Amino acid sequence: MITGRTALRVGQRLLGLVVVFLGVTFVIYLMVFSLPGDPIRALGGDRPLTETVIANLRAEYHLDEPVGEQYLRFLGGLLHGDLGTSFTGRSVTEQLRERWPVTIVLALTAWVFEIVLGVGLGILAALRRGTVIDKGVLAATIVLSAIPVFVLGSVAQLVFGVRLGWFPVAGSREGWPISFILPGLVIAVFGLASVSRLTRGSMLEGLGADYVRTARSLGVPPRRVVGVHVLRNSLIPTVTYLGTDLGYLLGGTVIVEGIFNLPGVGNLLVTSIRAHEGPTVVGISTALIVIFLLTSLLVDLAHGLLDPRIRRG
Amino acid sequence: MSVHRSRLTRLTRLSALAAAAVLVTAGCAVGTQDPDSSSGGSAAGVGGTLVYATGVPDHLTPGRQTVAFDQVMSLFAPLVEVDSSNNISYLQAKSVTSDDAQHWTITIRQGWTFQNGEPVTAKSYVDAWNATALSTNAFENSGQLAGIQGYTDLNPSKGKPKTTTMSGLKVVDDHTFTVTLSKPDSSFPLQLSQAQTGFYPMPESAYKDLKAYDQHPIGDGPFEMTGDFTPDKEFTVKKWADYKGSNVAKVDAVTFRPYADTNTAYTDVLAGNADIVFLPTGKMTSASKDFGDRLHSFDAPGIDYLGFPLWDKRFSDKRVRQAISMSIDRQAVNKAIYGGLYAPATALTPPTMQGTPTGVCGQYCTFDPAAAKQLLAEAGGWKGGTMKIVYPGGLSLDSLYKAYANQIRQNLGIPNVVATPTTDWSEYWQSLTDSTVAGPHFGHWGALYVSQQNTLRALFTTTGGCTLCTGKYHNDEVDAMLAKADAATSTDQAAQLYADTQKVIIGDFPVVPTFFDKYSYVVSDRVGQLPASAGSPVITGITLTKS
Repeated sequence: MITGRTALRVGQRLLGLVVVFLGVTFVIYLMVFSLPGDPIRALGGDRPLTETVIANLRAEYHLDEPVGEQYLRFLGGLLHGDLGTSFTGRSVTEQLRERWPVTIVLALTAWVFEIVLGVGLGILAALRRGTVIDKGVLAATIVLSAIPVFVLGSVAQLVFGVRLGWFPVAGSREGWPISFILPGLVIAVFGLASVSRLTRGSMLEGLGADYVRTARSLGVPPRRVVGVHVLRNSLIPTVTYLGTDLGYLLGGTVIVEGIFNLPGVGNLLVTSIRAHEGPTVVGISTALIVIFLLTSLLVDLAHGLLDPRIRRG
Repeated sequence: MSVHRSRLTRLTRLSALAAAAVLVTAGCAVGTQDPDSSSGGSAAGVGGTLVYATGVPDHLTPGRQTVAFDQVMSLFAPLVEVDSSNNISYLQAKSVTSDDAQHWTITIRQGWTFQNGEPVTAKSYVDAWNATALSTNAFENSGQLAGIQGYTDLNPSKGKPKTTTMSGLKVVDDHTFTVTLSKPDSSFPLQLSQAQTGFYPMPESAYKDLKAYDQHPIGDGPFEMTGDFTPDKEFTVKKWADYKGSNVAKVDAVTFRPYADTNTAYTDVLAGNADIVFLPTGKMTSASKDFGDRLHSFDAPGIDYLGFPLWDKRFSDKRVRQAISMSIDRQAVNKAIYGGLYAPATALTPPTMQGTPTGVCGQYCTFDPAAAKQLLAEAGGWKGGTMKIVYPGGLSLDSLYKAYANQIRQNLGIPNVVATPTTDWSEYWQSLTDSTVAGPHFGHWGALYVSQQNTLRALFTTTGGCTLCTGKYHNDEVDAMLAKADAATSTDQAAQLYADTQKVIIGDFPVVPTFFDKYSYVVSDRVGQLPASAGSPVITGITLTKS
């Protein structure tokens, strides 16, 4: 299935990835560095640290060096898989290693919800076009995605965690799936409107296409018409969306992990930005960017699988 | 962490009591408790594991922690303790005495060990204090030891220190050491109480690997670690069977569970998944509805105020600052923002500090819009354009500062008063450090020990450490008066001198005192007794009714 052309395309994209990686890490490093305020002075809260403590801490974290030197030190460490040390004295690499699984599991859980619910609702709306069900799906998904995530998260906690007691309010102590269902749903809700609309739209297009009419007139059972002929062809825009959306979902974990107190990288990113911890912020956001780039690459390749014209074109 | 979190509001504990007086008098023995009276066994309740919802702690080394008070205090025993009945007593110390308030002799109790079996000796203290003070170790609580003679040798303004020990510390024998201060300070014994964790001892094994010790601290307190600590994960301490102190824990274990967002912790306590959490500001108005009598509010040793850029001509006339103070309806703000849990400030320290001249702020801390307007007019009116009220962003302080801004705008008739948040705590702090803050600004001080001294020295003396918190306020008379009060030989006399100093400071009116803090906690229905000291729960005294 992999032709020379595809291989070339992948190679070009991977090369681009390296360039993007260097550019983005430097820009993020510079941004964190130029955040107003001194992270070391802020370590003592409203109780000022003595000047000698400040000077020694600054030296310990190399914050007394120019930003270019700090960035080179960061890159040098990166080659050895060392992302530096956080202000609490922990290795950033080690923290990321512990936290990525949580975030990835959360994002995938949300993704599955988005696919199952979004595509399902889209198909339902398309097959019941113009009915109350169609309009209801539209209204419900749009209203839900218009609610700010922290409101939705808190309400979900109060209703399903406190009142009904079906799910834990916060934390990952009870493991997958129980601890990840509520936060996963909260993240997924934002993609529901888009996914179901996309699916519905292209389903309708497919249902009205010549080849579908032909298939029907040849007596192909309706289930097979919808399942094989319509759905497969209609899924291309949805797959494109879902692919790039996995990147957004990872971003969405930043807020949701805070609300649900899940020990993932999103949570760490928020605390690191607050503490102005350059290496941690760069480490996490770089990884997010790489994942984003890789998923869009995979989406391109998946197009080929779904549509031979793209593959051979 | 920043300072999200409880860092601001919780910074401290210790509230005050008259008993402080006794300690200071030279050679006097104080309300000591029999260390053997209650070792082992729960006095009440069912034992069980208490789940304590906290912010994300930073360090567990006593000389380093700045937000992990509860965790560190559960692992160590302080020399001097303020207990839940607000009595001051010796805990690990047998006595702390001096004839001149400058040369102190500390005798510790015999037979104590650390949780690894090492004996607790005078050397355990002297070594730990030297390590905490040594600049190259960069321990965050170093400043607590600044009064000891030789501290500056370990903290030279330039270059590396030439010595690693303070000349003011001498081991006399296994259980006695002497402390020489660079200046007389009658409050020294109070400085040894539990929240000043920079004065805790460390076992010799700690120095082999301070990083490892930070993850697995070994103390001499009521609880011991059950595993390694990492800042972002919950960890459990269990009751230590060989603890020699009198404050034996009533629960079997405590799990400290960090939350990135205290609002989540609040909801988790509501659902019964955690047992206790410090009440976040944003929940103060709804807490009594949600929790009823499971909301507990304690007098705290902290004060909220508005500081000023005193170098800014628009605020250099004290009548302007007084007018701003009189234009704020503290009762209304308290009700709207704090659910009525706070108390309007009438002095520079909360009344729980011994000798506080309550009401010293008088008419200037009383809401009176007409008088405020008149005072502003006498000062020439407001010609400064937009008045920015600056506060650190991201700490849920927005509605409070909007309320202040509204009150000042309406009651002083200044057209543009704007509550202006900084991006975060660092930026706010930097604007104070650099003297670039654009207007009246957020101020808070939580004292670490129960004396007016701590607040007054930090905020209003030239070398107190936090002059940047009060617009770099400076008054030679205040410096001299506080030095004199420090040198007093009785606490009654000292308290009186501190109170006199407050009058002089209020005369200058460098800050607008707004509220005396209350620290509030909400608990699950498993929690029975909840004794508190200085605004914070005494963990060893908490009982659970079901396990």
